Amino acid sequence: MRRAILALGSTIAGIAVLLSFKTHSIATAGTPAAAPSTPSGTGSSAAPAGAADAAGAAATPRAARKAKTAAGGHRTVTGQVAETARGPVQVELTLVGQRITKVTMLQQTDDGPLSNQIDATAIPKLINETLTAQSAHIDAVSGASYTSEGYIQSLQSALDKASAS
Amino acid sequence: MQTLSSQPAARAAPHPARAAGWRAPPGLVLAIIAAGVAGVIALWWRDTPPVTGLGDALTGAGRILGLLAGYGVVVLVALMARLPPLERGIGTGRLARWHAMGGRYIITIIAAHATLITWGYAVTFHQRVTTEAGTLLTSYPDVLMATVAAGLLLGVGLVSAGLVRRRLAYETWYHLHFYTYLAIALAFSHQFANGASFVASLDDRVAWSAMYAAVAALVLWYRVITPLRRLGRHRFRVAGLRPEAPGIVSVYIAGDRLEKLHAEPGQFFRWRFLARGMWWQSHPYSLSALPRPDMMRITVKARGDHSGALTRLRPGTRVLAEGPYGAFTPAQSRRGVVLIAGGVGITPIRAMFAAMPAPAGRSVGAATLIYRASHPRDIVFRRELDQIAASRGAVVHYLTGSRRQLGTDPLSARSLAALVPGLHRRQAYVCGPPGMTETAIRALRTAGVPRRRIHHESFDF
Repeated sequence: MRRAILALGSTIAGIAVLLSFKTHSIATAGTPAAAPSTPSGTGSSAAPAGAADAAGAAATPRAARKAKTAAGGHRTVTGQVAETARGPVQVELTLVGQRITKVTMLQQTDDGPLSNQIDATAIPKLINETLTAQSAHIDAVSGASYTSEGYIQSLQSALDKASAS
Repeated sequence: MQTLSSQPAARAAPHPARAAGWRAPPGLVLAIIAAGVAGVIALWWRDTPPVTGLGDALTGAGRILGLLAGYGVVVLVALMARLPPLERGIGTGRLARWHAMGGRYIITIIAAHATLITWGYAVTFHQRVTTEAGTLLTSYPDVLMATVAAGLLLGVGLVSAGLVRRRLAYETWYHLHFYTYLAIALAFSHQFANGASFVASLDDRVAWSAMYAAVAALVLWYRVITPLRRLGRHRFRVAGLRPEAPGIVSVYIAGDRLEKLHAEPGQFFRWRFLARGMWWQSHPYSLSALPRPDMMRITVKARGDHSGALTRLRPGTRVLAEGPYGAFTPAQSRRGVVLIAGGVGITPIRAMFAAMPAPAGRSVGAATLIYRASHPRDIVFRRELDQIAASRGAVVHYLTGSRRQLGTDPLSARSLAALVPGLHRRQAYVCGPPGMTETAIRALRTAGVPRRRIHHESFDF
């Protein structure tokens, strides 16, 4: 009996510690999340790199392209439609250079009030994660697995397109 | 043992070598299990965005518990997969106790997982808990199946709990446990369909599936294929029966090349007699004599339906034998050994007693066997034991009579110390019914035998 109480007690304590650390890490995660709001800083840092490449010896086509788009300012890329069990999901990215500055939902799951309610909570989280991670390697939102899966899929296709153009 | 002399030399040692494979140290096994827990938590940590608000916190706790449960059921099955290193290193009795403790723990965290996820989603998506529970069951993929699985596991857990377990036949309890495999299969898909750690990562899905597949393969190999291969190779069959005492019968099992099994005294097999009404159940019985290359012997007290049916076995009946199992085997000790048997617990002790080396010098106390039975007519193997004692210079004490008749407990620290010279320096092996085992262990501890030198097995699982 004492063992059982000990096991359950330490489980609860362990989970509480883990969760409090996860909450705590918001403070540190907050800094990169703020970065997208200052796209000009990154844009200007990309430009000299591109200029250096153009002037220097090894100007790769990729770097040159990067410089061009950075000079061109904002652009939008549309992701593929990801079909999920609760309907299609499609994202549109706004980029400055290779930096994602905005995510717009063109389509989201529409499978009755439940699905809408889930999306209303999950999509802001997914977008927030995308802007922080600057990639499609983001965490799924618990309770919204279809939306997460579709979102990540469409996001990945958009990013593929963005890096190819 | 005489027949061994006609065999090629290697196995003709006076007592079997303690080789026969690696023994996993219990500490190492626990460390590996703990490392798995750390891995599961790392998986959650990596795949979880920062927690904001109550809903996230509840869901987060629910997810950790869910992952732990998904990992835990695999560990519980692996402990019972009859892996030889675990059986030798930890022992079947202790594995069963770990399994029982772990089982209760896992069932608790599964219940908490379901509760917290429901509550967490309800908070996050602004629903009432009851509404959210309905939504989860009907609208989330495979959650209904997983709920059925949780119910099954809870049922098995309740049945295994002491109170109910004692009212059930061993067979009923044993077969109810097969529902856990069904439950694990039912609960598998909801992990990938809903688990936020798995939805986004193919690698994690592959790794998680590999863990389940590996344990499934181990179970299949060690619990199904190995016994069948053994039957093919050794062709176990019933050679004959011999009544030993009222309600106690020895079953002789013949086979080919049994020395290849490397069975040690004190170990047991799970026997499945392929006779009508018996083939579908297997039972653990200890070897009651040193195995010979052509013959093994078990001795069984007729208690349940199964052990009663044993008395009607016909010679020639084929037998599936799973084993050998058990870490209850004698270590070589230069300081002497005391063996304590209670009732039918004499069976493994009888085999161990026969394996005791004769004392080599004055410093070694003669091996001493203390055999407790409530009535002199319940004593089995009296002639064999006396013979072994005479040929090895060992000592046997028969302690019969109920405690009330004797007016004292013959297994008290004082009487044990009086019977066994140098008791506190010896290795002690105890086998008997749970109550008697406990009494004997307590007495040994009081008499100054350190816990690490007390080895015990109660036939209770």
